[in-house]
Amino acid sequence: MSTNKITTQKVNFKVFRFNADEDYLPYYEDYYMDVTSGEVVLDILNRIKWDHDGSFSYRRSCRHGICGACAIKVNGRSTLACKESMTDMIELFGNKLTIEPLSIKRVVKDMIIDKGDFWEKHDAIHPYLISDVQEHPEHEHIVTPTEAEELLEADLCIQCGACHYACPVTEINESFLGPAAFAKAYRFEADVRDQSHDERLQELHSEEQGIWDCVKCFECAEVCPKDVNPIDKITKLHQMLFHEGVATSNVATRHAVGFKNSIAKHGLLDEGNLVLYSEGPAIIKHIPVALQMFKKGKIIMPWNMPKSDKLDKIKKLVKSSSTAKF
Amino acid sequence: MSIPIYTYDAIVVGAGLAGCAAARELQKAGKKVAVVTKLHPLRSHSGAAQGGVNAAISDEDSIELHEFDTVKGSDYLADQDAVEFLCQKAPETIRWVKRMGAAFSRTSDGKIAQRPFGGQSSPRACYAKDRTGLTLLQTIYEQAHRAGVKFWDEWYAADLIYKDGKVSGIVAFNIRDMQTVIFNAKSVMFATGGYARSYKINSNAHANTGDGLSIVARHGLPLEDMEFVQFHPSGLAGNGVLISEAARGEGGKLLNSDGERFMKRYAPNAMELASRDVVARAILNESREGRGVGPNKDAVYIDVTHLGRDIIMQRLPELRDLAITFLGLDMIKEPILISATAHYSMGGIPVNIAGNVRRNNNETIEGFYAAGECSCVSVHGANRLGANSVLEALLFGRFVGKTMVKEIDGIELRTATQADAKTALDEINFLLTNNGEENIAKLREELQQCMTDNAGAFRTEVTLDIAIVKIKELRIKFKNIRIKDKSKVFNTELQEAIEFGHMLDYSLFIVESAVARKESRGAHYREDFDSRDDENFLKHTMACMDEEGNIELDYMDVTLGKHEVKPRTY
Repeated sequence: MSTNKITTQKVNFKVFRFNADEDYLPYYEDYYMDVTSGEVVLDILNRIKWDHDGSFSYRRSCRHGICGACAIKVNGRSTLACKESMTDMIELFGNKLTIEPLSIKRVVKDMIIDKGDFWEKHDAIHPYLISDVQEHPEHEHIVTPTEAEELLEADLCIQCGACHYACPVTEINESFLGPAAFAKAYRFEADVRDQSHDERLQELHSEEQGIWDCVKCFECAEVCPKDVNPIDKITKLHQMLFHEGVATSNVATRHAVGFKNSIAKHGLLDEGNLVLYSEGPAIIKHIPVALQMFKKGKIIMPWNMPKSDKLDKIKKLVKSSSTAKF
Repeated sequence: MSIPIYTYDAIVVGAGLAGCAAARELQKAGKKVAVVTKLHPLRSHSGAAQGGVNAAISDEDSIELHEFDTVKGSDYLADQDAVEFLCQKAPETIRWVKRMGAAFSRTSDGKIAQRPFGGQSSPRACYAKDRTGLTLLQTIYEQAHRAGVKFWDEWYAADLIYKDGKVSGIVAFNIRDMQTVIFNAKSVMFATGGYARSYKINSNAHANTGDGLSIVARHGLPLEDMEFVQFHPSGLAGNGVLISEAARGEGGKLLNSDGERFMKRYAPNAMELASRDVVARAILNESREGRGVGPNKDAVYIDVTHLGRDIIMQRLPELRDLAITFLGLDMIKEPILISATAHYSMGGIPVNIAGNVRRNNNETIEGFYAAGECSCVSVHGANRLGANSVLEALLFGRFVGKTMVKEIDGIELRTATQADAKTALDEINFLLTNNGEENIAKLREELQQCMTDNAGAFRTEVTLDIAIVKIKELRIKFKNIRIKDKSKVFNTELQEAIEFGHMLDYSLFIVESAVARKESRGAHYREDFDSRDDENFLKHTMACMDEEGNIELDYMDVTLGKHEVKPRTY
């Protein structure tokens, strides 16, 4: 309910419909509605259900962006329906909007998906503070504001799943825990009260869980309705792994280190050498690609590798910030 | 086809603060416990609490002051033994939840930060920015999960198995596929939340349809003090979404259309930090007398601009975000529009301090417990103080869990039979197959409009009688409904129909209890009886529904104590 001038626009909603009990295939239903400025996407879902078709189903509860139930996709972009203003949606995408569930392959009914994979991955990181809870404590433990701020708002994650189902790695790699689970892992890893810091960190480093498989596309940060910025937490976990000496040499960690080595040496990225450093002898499998890269001038011979004109400054920065031991 | 029967020591219905806290106690004591919730636990409405949780932990504060403020805030209707228990156990409860992981805001020396709240003599609300409920819910759920509690999430508790003064389980169905199950248990706890959803302008989640209360009432059991519905002073204008009392606690000023800080006329000492009932009525009165603001002149301003960007971003970031999303107003730069919103249910399922549900004024029910907003202990009496609700839910949830652990071995399991599911199955079957003309969404809108218009912050016998007639008319219409969705998968239309049936039943308790209380006390304000009448009404309403659906009223004594009943001014 905006207090600015109230305006109304006609919008065509193409709404994904599917009922696992009745439908062989999903379909899209068209709804034409007058949308008033100040409405949010959840208002539209409610109006479809209450004014047009009672069978339309979606999850929702708190209606003000704190319970995380109503995440869906509008024109392919993950969003929390109760916090997304229709005015912004129209401005971004125009007057034709497609409403879909977070993940079409997991649909049970309309906007409702089976989030089993999301919760399994959430559980995999031991999503609770591990400490001996004193049941009747007589004194308060002191935690300084600086220590408390280490959580970097990771505790604000409401488990809506918007990032999980927007992440391209989650989509193709079943073992990748996903941005929400990693943000949650960081929330406990950053908590001075947690007593399983080392064990959880060791587990996170295991290749099956894929913390090194993040492709740094920033999609998770882009869609997060609470500005939790999961990729920032993934990066923090990477740094923690190096800093605390947990990171062992494997293709993923060498990729990070090789990247640093290249920057430290040239101030620029030497792509050919990065692959060589990361893969080691296994580089042989990349020869066909390397040949093509070479033809396109993407592989620069060591003697031709240029240097950044700010190399001295860059070297100092790398030295002061790197904690890698290999 | 027969219905599966699962056997447990204890079943907890609802997975907010109270439900999770109780389940954790039961699990840790080695009892076989499960939580049944119609949402995922982390979606529970406890997570929406914003401003804080009270505990007298600072050197300047005392437990006795906390008790006094709570009793005075309740307009002396709270039971003082229960209030004493609440306030005494509060500091330990806060330290305990912090040990489990709650991420409170900190003072510079590393202690839990506290802020002033309405009706409190000292800054007492421990807070985590303006999302205190979120950190508490996450923490208690995480630790219940860590302890191994089994959660049946997205399962709908449809009925209570109650016979001859004893509860022996619930009937529930899986929202995903309509599979119905009997959970046969030695003990059952209801922690099903509040009932403000029956008002048009409310701060509650869609889920807060008071299911637990109506389920209890349909067995002829009493509901206590149902007329006391708290109207929170600051809901966002138009949609009622909550703007925490923290906004006033941090120094927010309320202004009318003349730019006047009008609270000086209503509560010259406490100003904006008078108790919620007082501030809410003041706001509504300003717009009634033509000093409202906004497109419909039905709101007032709350101005926090003087706090500056840093404090707002540090302490009230979520509130700012909400005002931007819903009003397009940035409270760093400008005042925002608020008005009173139906918020909290002081009344509920009557319980004693141990959490045993009352069968009547003198007896309790074997194997049946309740805690949190659905219950009435009563620690809030006629008006709850801000930041006492999450405290109540967490603290009583936990201690009622302990009661259950103690009592469970002395309870004999009454084996469930298929017949126990009959009422629930009949209800579902009727709603699915009835081929009438009425539509749930329309009927619900009529009920909510009627409750806001006639049983709101100001009431008279005339308006309440209108509401009674309307609810009875809606009950007849409800018998003539038709739902379009006949499928078994996530039939949310069926669920809304069941929930609406509950809303109708408990709403009648609200208005019938309100019409009989011919006085004004706390949140219950009768314009035709505008003062408190201790002689006739310093007592709890105990209302029951007979088989025809009519409400019968009785009263129960208030437990008084060291805090003497006095006139209440702020």
